[in-house]
Amino acid sequence: MPEAPVQADAAPPDSIAARYARLLHRAVLSDDPLVVETALAEAAELGREMMRAEIPLEEVSEVHHEALVDLAQAHPQLTLPSIAHRVTAPLMEAYMAYSLSFREQLEHRTSVILNARIDQIRRLESIGTLAAGVAHEFNNILGSIIGFSELLTDEVDQTSPGGQYLQHILQASFRARDLTARLLTFARDMPEVREPVDVVPVAAETLELLRATLPVGIRLVLEPLVPQAWVMADASQIQQIIMNLCINAADAIQVRDGRIQVGIETRVESTPTEWLGEHWTEPPNDPPKTQVRLSVSDNGEGMTMETRARIFDPFFTTKAPGKGTGLGLSVIHGLVTSMGGTISLDSTPGLGTRFSIDLPALTGTFEPGALDENAREAPGPATKDDEP
Amino acid sequence: MTTTLIVDDDELFRTMLEAMLHKEGHQVLNAINGTQALALLETESPDLIMTDILMPDGDGIELISALNQQQRDIPIIAMSGGRRSISLEFNLESATLMGVKATLPKPFTRDNLRQALADALQP
Repeated sequence: MPEAPVQADAAPPDSIAARYARLLHRAVLSDDPLVVETALAEAAELGREMMRAEIPLEEVSEVHHEALVDLAQAHPQLTLPSIAHRVTAPLMEAYMAYSLSFREQLEHRTSVILNARIDQIRRLESIGTLAAGVAHEFNNILGSIIGFSELLTDEVDQTSPGGQYLQHILQASFRARDLTARLLTFARDMPEVREPVDVVPVAAETLELLRATLPVGIRLVLEPLVPQAWVMADASQIQQIIMNLCINAADAIQVRDGRIQVGIETRVESTPTEWLGEHWTEPPNDPPKTQVRLSVSDNGEGMTMETRARIFDPFFTTKAPGKGTGLGLSVIHGLVTSMGGTISLDSTPGLGTRFSIDLPALTGTFEPGALDENAREAPGPATKDDEP
Repeated sequence: MTTTLIVDDDELFRTMLEAMLHKEGHQVLNAINGTQALALLETESPDLIMTDILMPDGDGIELISALNQQQRDIPIIAMSGGRRSISLEFNLESATLMGVKATLPKPFTRDNLRQALADALQP
């Protein structure tokens, strides 16, 4: 079968438009199923190529339209119905490949952005960690210097040159103490904005971010038992808590297929202050309080008693060197505590771990203008006591 | 005479604190971590425990927790070089929540120490 002539003013013969026109001709004019099949495969490859060349979708349609006009001009004997049913297939093939490649690229770009964000969170965390860790160590050393200097003041005549030198040592030590205090303030003073936050959409968004970065073998499931769960918090801190816990969970799952489940529920706290293994619950205020419980469960390797006992200690990590700072959970503990919440965990070696975070709930809804009448009685967003 | 158990992994600091406590008229016992302290407490009954918070092999929080569980009613002073920012973890505030009598942020002066001793040992 002779190759159909291509329009004189058409694109160069190796261009995408020209190649598409040629394959459309082959698909329409051939009765050989193998030829048609090859043309379809070529159409799919062209679709991917158009995506890589970042050709907009409208132009893809244009390429198809021009090839169609070209075909009609070259073969006036062909009837429209006979063309129509055959050209649809290559077009669909090209479109499908185009949109699949588009999705892949989008996912790739999203995951690059997310990885950068997670890296940034980790970097910020490690800067604060470093400052806090160094200051902590200095305080311990200064404890000995100041203590021994003060002891020495008992042994040395204060008016003697030695007594004077000793005073200088103490003055210098106090300057160093003030410096470490400033360093610790720096490490602490990350700006934060506390406002009513619905944990449900924040969790959904965070999981969306995480899905692109976690290993494919891990299923990440959000199971909110309530439509809304309002707390007073900085949304980015809620996000950081969920991210850290999920990344830890993914690390615990390691190579085998796993499942991470993020749950959100509200519960009325009725238990008095108590020891939970190694953790202390906040003393309850007078009336029973509604809590928002955010939980992250995994079916990973679980923890031994020894690990559980130290899990919130700063610098404690079970991860390989370079894989974790050991600060993630202590940071979470600090964040949760500063929000007036508590964190607890259940873990069984071999079965998995569940972290539960209880935050004081703000009950009611907080859409602009949606505050109910109770809101006018009390300042702040607490609007009603019944559970949603 | 008051017997005080010092629990700290920093040997230099223990030596310093022991000297200071001697000057305050205390008899001193030493342990380098919470685990060793608990072992010592099986045979000894000090009048006061001064413990660091962050220590390898049995930290101060574990020690306080164990003593609470054993219902050993020995006054405790918690000491730490860490502050809220390290926070993030068990710190002096956690120790206060757990019922220690006094806290001493490191570094402290002899006046700070005397105040903490008075707070912890008041009847």
